[in-house]
Amino acid sequence: MSDVLTRLAQIISEVVGPDFLLDVEITRETTFSDDLGLESIEFVALADKLRAHYDVDLVGFLADMDIDEIMAMSVGRLADHIEMAAARG
Amino acid sequence: MSRYLFVVPPLTGHINPTVSVGAELMSRGHAVAWVGHPGTLAPLLPAGALVFPALDDEVERRIQDARVQWLGLRGMAVLKFFWEEFLIPLGHAMVPGVTEAVSAFSPDVVVADQQALAGPLVASRLGIPWVTSASTPAELVRPLQTLPKVESWVVELLSSFAGSDIRFSPLLVLVFTSPSLVPGAFPPHYVFTGPALAGRPGGSFPWEWLTSGRRRVLVSLGTLNGAAGERFFGEVVSAVASLDVQVVMVAPPGAVSAPPNVLVASSVPQLDLMPHLDAVVSHGGHNTVCEALAHGLPLVVAPIRDDQPIIADQVVAAGAGIRLRYARVRADEIRTALLDVLDSPSYAAAARRVRDSFQAAGGAVTAADHLEAVVA
Repeated sequence: MSDVLTRLAQIISEVVGPDFLLDVEITRETTFSDDLGLESIEFVALADKLRAHYDVDLVGFLADMDIDEIMAMSVGRLADHIEMAAARG
Repeated sequence: MSRYLFVVPPLTGHINPTVSVGAELMSRGHAVAWVGHPGTLAPLLPAGALVFPALDDEVERRIQDARVQWLGLRGMAVLKFFWEEFLIPLGHAMVPGVTEAVSAFSPDVVVADQQALAGPLVASRLGIPWVTSASTPAELVRPLQTLPKVESWVVELLSSFAGSDIRFSPLLVLVFTSPSLVPGAFPPHYVFTGPALAGRPGGSFPWEWLTSGRRRVLVSLGTLNGAAGERFFGEVVSAVASLDVQVVMVAPPGAVSAPPNVLVASSVPQLDLMPHLDAVVSHGGHNTVCEALAHGLPLVVAPIRDDQPIIADQVVAAGAGIRLRYARVRADEIRTALLDVLDSPSYAAAARRVRDSFQAAGGAVTAADHLEAVVA
């Protein structure tokens, strides 16, 4: 696991509550929509944490996606985006 | 005298406002009819109401089966299914029946619920004025504006169904809430009437169960989500078992094992119950939320899907309640939130401000005034 992926898994765990992830291992393939079933209030909490930790705009990242891309949005894809944003500085 | 035809989906929450508005129109001497699923309409309408069928029981059953499948979905899949597998097919299914109802009843105005897409389509084809009944205000606030590709996907679906975006009538949009919950600037033909609650049939309830001197709370997940709510109901029971409150929980029989201070009923006469309550725990269905606020009751809202997160945020912004998560909420969070809305006077005070705004908006009387003006 990359550092970003490990940290992202921690952030997600903080957002949903670690005891709800006992039987879910967060991998690159884990989707926010179906696997995690992120509620909108949790999505807002995730966006806040990503902004604080990485200066990444989650809403802006999703704004360019169609409905199928949003449904398929995975932890791995977000991790790649965070790494690319960091590389661009 | 004018003739009004209400076009409604097989959904209680969307039929309810039309029942009150229809009753007000009838009391003024107008002719009123409904077109939709007769089996869903019958228990909600006054006896003798004129109903035209647009969905037979088999089609309605298929729609309900699809809804059960839809209840199992999460995230964006809910929205995709809602439009592609529910709203658009429902619109197509209702077109023949709505067309026949218009021919048979010859309405001056078609009043179409925002989720009965056949209404605007048929009315436009036949050159009859049509009005939007927005039983939830969620579409008014453009919930998908941060996702422009998803928003334009919805408009494309509507355009391929009806040739244009038919969510809002160019003549009159009846919105059953008030600007205290939905601030913002809207076109002048958008009329905020507040909830239309009068003229609905009641029901029975074991009133003797309510004891004086104790605070009372209603817990309801509405008519569509109740069966899927067992985890939530269980957390609520754990949250309230040790509290000195009486809880009326609308839940399927056997969903929870209830302690003595919790009464579980599969349905309750919700409007009749409201004056006896101190707070409401809800999924954020627009009808239940507005019924609670119309009685000045603070809310704890745990939205599940659809427009519910938007409604929940409106309640929070008005200061009239607390929003919780639904799928992962814990008993202690529910207990803390419930005690907060019961004990902190600010929530009930804000709820009473919303109640006053509803009363000023005029409800079914205002809606009927504007519907008369469409014909005049």
